[in-house]
Amino acid sequence: MTAALPETAENRYDLGFARWVRDNVEGGDKLSLCMQCGACSGSCPIGTQMDHGPRKIIAMIRAGMKDEVLSSNTLWNCTSCYRCTVRCPRGIPVTSIIQDLAAKAVEFGYADKKENALFAKSFWWSTSAFGRTDERLVTARYYFSLGFLEGIRRGLANLKIALGMVRTGRMHLGMPHKIKDIKGLTAILARAAEIEAEEANDEL
Amino acid sequence: MTDGAPKSQTIAVVGGGIAGITAALEAAEMGYDVVLLEKGPSLGGRVTRLNRYFPKLCHPTCGLEINYQRIKKNPRIKLMTMSEVQGVTGVRGDYLLTVRKTPRFVNANCTACGACAQAAETEIDNSFNYGMDKVKVAYLPHEHAFPMRYIISPEVIGTPEADKIKESCKYNAVELDQQEETFDLNAGAIIWATGWRPYDASKLDVYGYDSSPDIITNVEMERLAAHDGPTDGKIIRPSDGEPAKRVAMIQCAGSRDVNHLPYCSMICCLASLKHAAYVREQYPDAEVDIYYIDIRAHDKMSSFYERVRNDPGINFIKSKPGHIVVGEDGRPLVCGEQIIEREIYQRPYDLVVLATGMEPSRAPGADQPVDVEQDEHGFLIPAVGNDGGQFSAGVAGGPFDVALSTQSATAAALKAIQAVRAG
Ligand SMILES: Cc1cc2nc3c(=O)[nH]c(=O)nc-3n(C[C@H](O)[C@H](O)[C@H](O)COP(=O)(O)OP(=O)(O)OC[C@H]3O[C@@H](n4cnc5c(N)ncnc54)[C@H](O)[C@@H]3O)c2cc1C
Ligand code: SF4
Ligand code: SF4
Repeated sequence: MTAALPETAENRYDLGFARWVRDNVEGGDKLSLCMQCGACSGSCPIGTQMDHGPRKIIAMIRAGMKDEVLSSNTLWNCTSCYRCTVRCPRGIPVTSIIQDLAAKAVEFGYADKKENALFAKSFWWSTSAFGRTDERLVTARYYFSLGFLEGIRRGLANLKIALGMVRTGRMHLGMPHKIKDIKGLTAILARAAEIEAEEANDEL
Repeated sequence: MTDGAPKSQTIAVVGGGIAGITAALEAAEMGYDVVLLEKGPSLGGRVTRLNRYFPKLCHPTCGLEINYQRIKKNPRIKLMTMSEVQGVTGVRGDYLLTVRKTPRFVNANCTACGACAQAAETEIDNSFNYGMDKVKVAYLPHEHAFPMRYIISPEVIGTPEADKIKESCKYNAVELDQQEETFDLNAGAIIWATGWRPYDASKLDVYGYDSSPDIITNVEMERLAAHDGPTDGKIIRPSDGEPAKRVAMIQCAGSRDVNHLPYCSMICCLASLKHAAYVREQYPDAEVDIYYIDIRAHDKMSSFYERVRNDPGINFIKSKPGHIVVGEDGRPLVCGEQIIEREIYQRPYDLVVLATGMEPSRAPGADQPVDVEQDEHGFLIPAVGNDGGQFSAGVAGGPFDVALSTQSATAAALKAIQAVRAG
């Protein structure tokens, strides 16, 4: 669990937010090094698909734009390619900041209706349960998390593609395939959760 | 510190760039004996390769010429070119320098008539023009070289071509049997003025220096604009010789970057302002874009910045480009985020100039035989060592422009005088 987000008053600028990011977000302690050069956003392969891009997200954090930052699509469109991190002239772990902000956005309910977040959750569910992504289940879970009717609608819209994939052997119809050592994976994930909890405790 | 009077009153100046020349002259004109050691064939260092100086856009040769006259007139300065310091022992007031002198194969009889160069056939890269053109193996370092004397490149020695070169000289100036020699000299104080080299642009892989001839560095731009440069002063696209009318300057190419040079090189903003002015002077219809993080033009430099900024053909774009690639039409494409507007751009140019910074000659990994005290980047500590007899001058001690280099050289001369005088 992360320390509670600062309460935002009516105004949109919460000056406690940058401090909260510094203390709670991975790499957040490096935020003050950013010189707003733009190398990160200019390097991002999907920069045009982002509402703000990494550089502006950092500026917005400093300006205390909590809600805008946590609901930004930048957090979800980032592909973790690490180009920004590698090129940042100040050595700021930009990708870690973006990725951890995405996790925080989920934790604090900013991503409940975000499609990318819902997709990420379905993806994670399948990966942790089977050690693999099962296209059918990930897709179904994702579609229906958008609502029952939406699930039906999207499912039907993609039926042709699905059948094509089955025909060409790209998708199978039986039980989901699991990896060989699913117990091993479960143990790894459990340990990761433990470490995360320990770290959270240490910080308190 | 040593007690008593210094054994030697001579001041050794290592490096004959603008800083070393200044330090040598200041000390000599105060009545002290100076040995000026330069490892290259002529004096002046890097500024000889600049087309013009910011902020006044005057020619470096004027100032250098005056300094050379002062050196010629002053019997207290002993100038040694082709001479590199190999070792230093001793203490303040009593140092022993070991110097290695490499052969020039041309003696003081040389009148710079150029017959040897005509006789020579083999060509080598012209290092004065950063390898952008060729010179013969018998060559004058450059048009304004001081001493005004030819040099013969060692690779030709021992070949019939060398004999031909020797025969061509009417003044008996060619000496093919010159050997490398090592000798010692005494000095009471040492001024290190070993200068800098351009940061290696090949290390900036995202800026594609090696991927297109039309992506060049700022030091190459100085040569492109110089009348004695590889293009006789025409600013062209190296790939096809066409006029370069859409030009981009990329600031902080390697400087202020923890992956390269973490410090600000201080002169590159001003150098790019100067380069934009070169382009605009040549082509009234040219357009120059300067990509910057922030423009560092302080104090007296700010009026120069204002002047350049008022030129409608020069645009200032606040953005550190992410990368430069070669576009489908073969022109370099500068890609990044324009930060005020948050616009993602991709723009083609005729010529892209990387404003690379200055790295001290003694940067880590550089081949510098003598071990002296320096910081993690290779800049010397102003009072080198702790015995109070060694000092740094010019860019050897920090990223300075010419004015600051000469100021630090004057300061070093004064310190050196104190060291050899009082003991
Ligand atoms: C693109 C560009 C443009 C610039 N334009 C301007 C401008 O317009 N105006 C301005 O004020 N400044 C300008 N500068 C900065 C200017 O070039 C430096 O301030 C100046 O060259 C510093 O002189 P220096 O004597 O310290 O070093 P250098 O010029 O590097 O001289 C050092 C000398 O020492 C010699 N040497 C090195 N090691 C040894 C050794 N071990 N033994 C003997 N000799 C040795 C070298 O051969 C060299 O001759 C520019 C810089 C760049 C990169
Ligand atoms: S590249 Fe680094 S310093 Fe530049 S804007 Fe991005 S995070 Fe800031
Ligand atoms: S890691 Fe994310 S934000 Fe950074 S460049 Fe890649 S996609 Fe863009």
